[in-house]
Amino acid sequence: MSSKLEIQWTPITNKFITWGSEICLYEVHQDRDNVLQNIKLSSTTSANLLATNTNHHYVKCLDVYPKSDADLLLAVGLSNGRISLSTFGPTEYDALGLTGKELVPRHARQCNAVCWNTIETSWVAAGLDKYRADNSVLIWDIMKSSQNNESNSGRMAVNTMAPGVELAKPIAEFGVSETAHSMAWFSSNSKVIAVGMNLKNIKFVDIRDPNKITNSTLTKAVFGVCMDPNDDRHLASFFENNIYVWDTRNFEKPILTLHQNKPVIKIAWCPTKYNLLGSLQKESSVINLYDIQHTVIGNEEVEPSVLERDVVPGSPHNIMSFSWHNSDENRFLTIALSGTITDYTVFDRITLNWAPTSNVVWTYGRKTMKYINDCPLQDISTKIRQRALSGYGLKAEIYKNGEVVDNEMLANVWNWLFLSGKLVEDGVLTGTQCKHPGVQAVLKLDPSNNKSDHYSLLWSDLGNKNCQGVVRIFKHEDRDKALHLCSWHFERDSNQLTAFLEQLEKEGAHTRAAAIAVFSLKIRLAIEILSRAPETLAFGLGLNVVAMALAGFTDDKNSVWKQFCSTAKQKLSDPYLKVIFSFLTAENYNFESVLNESGVTVDDRVAFACMFLPDNRLHDYLKKLSDKLIEEGNLDGLLLTGTNQDGIKLLQRYLDATGDIQSTALIAVRAFPVEQFSEVIKVWISSYRNLLDTWQLWNERAHFDIMLSTYCPADKPPQQVYVSCNYCGKTISAYMYGLTRGRGPFTRIGGTANKLKMSSCPGCRKPLPRCAICLMHMGTTTGNFSNEVDSNKIIEFSNWFTWCQTCRHGGHVSHMTHWFDEHSECPVTACTCKCFSVDSLSNAIIK
Amino acid sequence: MFEAQEINAEHKDLIHDVAYDFYGQRMATCSSDQYVKVWDQNSDGKWTLTSSWKAHSGSVWKVTWAHPEFGQVLATCSFDRTAAVWEEIVGETPGPGERGTRHWVRRTNLVDSRTSVTDVKFGPRTQGLQLATCSAEGIIRIYEAPDVLNLSQWTLQFEIQCKLPCSCLSWNPSLSKMHPLMLAVGSDDPNPANGVKVFIYVYSESCRKWTKMDAITNITDPVYDLSFSPNLGRSFHVLAIATKDVKIVNLPHVYDNPNSQNVITKLDAQIVAQFDDHESTVWRVCWNVTGTILASSGDDGCVRMFKMNYINSWKPIAVLRGDGSQVSNEGQRSSVSSTVGPQIQSASQTARYIKLGAISQPRDVPWH
Repeated sequence: MSSKLEIQWTPITNKFITWGSEICLYEVHQDRDNVLQNIKLSSTTSANLLATNTNHHYVKCLDVYPKSDADLLLAVGLSNGRISLSTFGPTEYDALGLTGKELVPRHARQCNAVCWNTIETSWVAAGLDKYRADNSVLIWDIMKSSQNNESNSGRMAVNTMAPGVELAKPIAEFGVSETAHSMAWFSSNSKVIAVGMNLKNIKFVDIRDPNKITNSTLTKAVFGVCMDPNDDRHLASFFENNIYVWDTRNFEKPILTLHQNKPVIKIAWCPTKYNLLGSLQKESSVINLYDIQHTVIGNEEVEPSVLERDVVPGSPHNIMSFSWHNSDENRFLTIALSGTITDYTVFDRITLNWAPTSNVVWTYGRKTMKYINDCPLQDISTKIRQRALSGYGLKAEIYKNGEVVDNEMLANVWNWLFLSGKLVEDGVLTGTQCKHPGVQAVLKLDPSNNKSDHYSLLWSDLGNKNCQGVVRIFKHEDRDKALHLCSWHFERDSNQLTAFLEQLEKEGAHTRAAAIAVFSLKIRLAIEILSRAPETLAFGLGLNVVAMALAGFTDDKNSVWKQFCSTAKQKLSDPYLKVIFSFLTAENYNFESVLNESGVTVDDRVAFACMFLPDNRLHDYLKKLSDKLIEEGNLDGLLLTGTNQDGIKLLQRYLDATGDIQSTALIAVRAFPVEQFSEVIKVWISSYRNLLDTWQLWNERAHFDIMLSTYCPADKPPQQVYVSCNYCGKTISAYMYGLTRGRGPFTRIGGTANKLKMSSCPGCRKPLPRCAICLMHMGTTTGNFSNEVDSNKIIEFSNWFTWCQTCRHGGHVSHMTHWFDEHSECPVTACTCKCFSVDSLSNAIIK
Repeated sequence: MFEAQEINAEHKDLIHDVAYDFYGQRMATCSSDQYVKVWDQNSDGKWTLTSSWKAHSGSVWKVTWAHPEFGQVLATCSFDRTAAVWEEIVGETPGPGERGTRHWVRRTNLVDSRTSVTDVKFGPRTQGLQLATCSAEGIIRIYEAPDVLNLSQWTLQFEIQCKLPCSCLSWNPSLSKMHPLMLAVGSDDPNPANGVKVFIYVYSESCRKWTKMDAITNITDPVYDLSFSPNLGRSFHVLAIATKDVKIVNLPHVYDNPNSQNVITKLDAQIVAQFDDHESTVWRVCWNVTGTILASSGDDGCVRMFKMNYINSWKPIAVLRGDGSQVSNEGQRSSVSSTVGPQIQSASQTARYIKLGAISQPRDVPWH
């Protein structure tokens, strides 16, 4: 490294210095727009240069006086071994005579480290290269040394460097003929310093007795010795590719070795967080962070756990140095070879989770969590919940379910299910077992022996004077059924058609009405519809123009009209207008552009196909279309598939695409035959029920269950609890069941009054257990009859017998509820069971 | 749009995990300070600390709730090489009309691991009380409480050697009887040369053993978290993986065929989306209740959300900074979504027809 470039925060929270060939002081501030000449540090902060100090040319190391409040005092270690005290401009230190003062060793050699004591703040330590018979670590007191200087001038040694300069005397020195590479004061003990020496050991020296080494270890890792500012026990140092973490109490071996891919050039403990060590490798753009957690199992401290993180502070170049901010959490500065400075804050790892409701929680920093109630994202989960609350899928009239949802496709499905169900009920669609047959099921066209009849109509007969051609229409009773399913069941009756079109016009669907009129071969009607369209519509005037164009209809292949329309229709945006002209300009009955116009609803296209396509092409078209709709999971495809296996495939695809388990389960239950309830549908049902339970929508779940049971009445839930006699072991519940049903051996007793009187085992006549409160036998009434007629129902329930599942003590419901209003323990004396708290939900209710 | 509330977590060190209970009304947190805390939501939606205890003698990595049908039960795992099962009990009633204080007791301490236990998760509730742990030594352990009323007795059912240090695991939450149990395990081993970092194991009821599936072969970066999405009847499983980016993988259903002698060992997994929006390491992924939105957190200090628009088509939809403020220019950043399915037709193109059709024949269709 020829050029050195370092960066360091100062004790003043918004100032930092950089030093290489010169020392620069910067001030950091939040971004302000009006300030130019800024150096951008991050997206929110920038810095400006306050001062530059160019007095020193061979800066080897530097430390900032830790008690710098307003002005900064720097101790600069120079290549000639001197420590020079420097400031930026005039400061309070000038008066103390500190500015410009030099602390000079006896012999000139490079200064490797300089380090202020953070407790005895006037002490500064210098670590020097080896010099024969001279100490390499010198500790100075900047406040005292000048006085000592005078009193001890007699002992002044000869200064080989600058004989004229007075020599201050260090307050302590040690390390004769040794090299000091790096050093660090203990953070809680001001008298002890750790020094990495001679490429072979780290020594702890108490400066009160500098010749005695308090502790040392043999290691090559003598560089970057640094003490955890929060805990004196932990010391880190590095050598080449390895970082070592030491426990100062047990200094023999490192407690941790962190291997790096490239040589390490700097390490530093984070001052704001326990046990976080940052490190930088040579020629790298990454700061490696190690969160070192110490664990004690029993009395033994095991190897610490390390969470490693790599942080890229955004600068792509070689980072030369970095510096932690003293007080801002996890914030550091980096400086790259190019001089680019980056201000970076490491985010603590965020953990997050999603509640079953739409609440999200995550951690922010170490001390706070953030949460959002009802995350405002439009998602199927919130929709399902809203729809469940509005009774979606449970309405008796099937079409009403469509009114609950704000989704047209779903509304259509429900309406279609209603329509098809109605058609089957009314006997329009015969010959299918299915409740909701699809078009494909209805069309049993057999090209060989059950052909559709086809009629050719002359356009001119239909009132179009300038036409010579014919139009082909196919008819068959199956096709009629299919048209019914598509709700085009007005073919034979022109009044119905007119009524339908009027309805469409009322709803503003003028182009659709026109298209249907054209497909019914009533072009004049279509023209009228289009010209009636109010001009207030977005394309009101345009529709009149279209009507004019339509009026010129001719099927002469070479007519100007046809040529013009063929090209002009591409410019139409309305799909229905487009298909009108596609149909009228089609040649050789090729209606591909009508059939594949995705803007036209599926049923209109299918109905169109049923009218104008010959058998084999109709078949192919429906097959292709249904395959496509199934693939897309488009529920409009139910029109084609009906409720058969293909329909299940379609629903599955819809579920895969949308995650809408609710509609899937509901449609499956309500439309598909019970016999077909495959495993798949059962999974849908149980998934949906589970979802409702998670949301605590138990009422909605119960309504769903009720609806479900009307569709499969055979599925009675099995009896859940059996009560048997303590003495003979025979079941009691079977008798009780018989009692209520009016069957079994007790039928002859009869009457509601007697029902309550079964207080002994019907098998052995031994008494049944007693209620823990009233000490009456099970089966007797509670005794607090109310005179109010309204409360009769409650009385019935309060006569029931209940018990704790854990201790099996119990009694009448009314007594138990009363007891547990005030207690959580079992009412039976000497039973310590906390019956009430066993139930988690009751806890929640109490809360 | 988003209004983030704040809770003072009162942990002394980094919080590693936060877990909701089945209903989302209770929350448990765990931290490097070795404590576990339980929070309850009151009717106003505010969270209050109800329990806090020193659970382990090392960093507590994960905390997870059992289904409420087993009681109020938590499991934790820690660097101290153990996993623990906790149950909330109510103390003695101080007097009539007063409730005893609730506190958590350790029901069991699972000490089989010789290294840090990095994740713990309860199995699907249809399987009774099962607990899976994974550890830094690369062993997955599956425990079972044979008696669900006795939480102090757990038997070690299976030990699966996974060879690489494990960092996270996830059960397939499918409740369907058709789907055999499935576990996904991730490794944070940093060396790409050590191969795949995501392992899928499937339990065969007939052979009574767990089989490693050959499924995801191209993720060799360290994996920090993974999570199966709630299945809810879908015809495939979805697994989200937090590694150097967010990955979403579709896995086909596996059917356990008791008659077949050949055990299936290959799954045709498909990475359907990957997002490098965090531009850094991704720590966590989690799903909403329907598995339609994925939330992730990463080194950029942001929470990001991704939504499924259509089969296999995922889009970033929201970015929140750690402090809860929303990043405005969301969606500007590019994302790599591999396969984009055909867009479903917009609602305006689907029909209004049937309703009209029904009305057009009022005589035929009696409206009640």
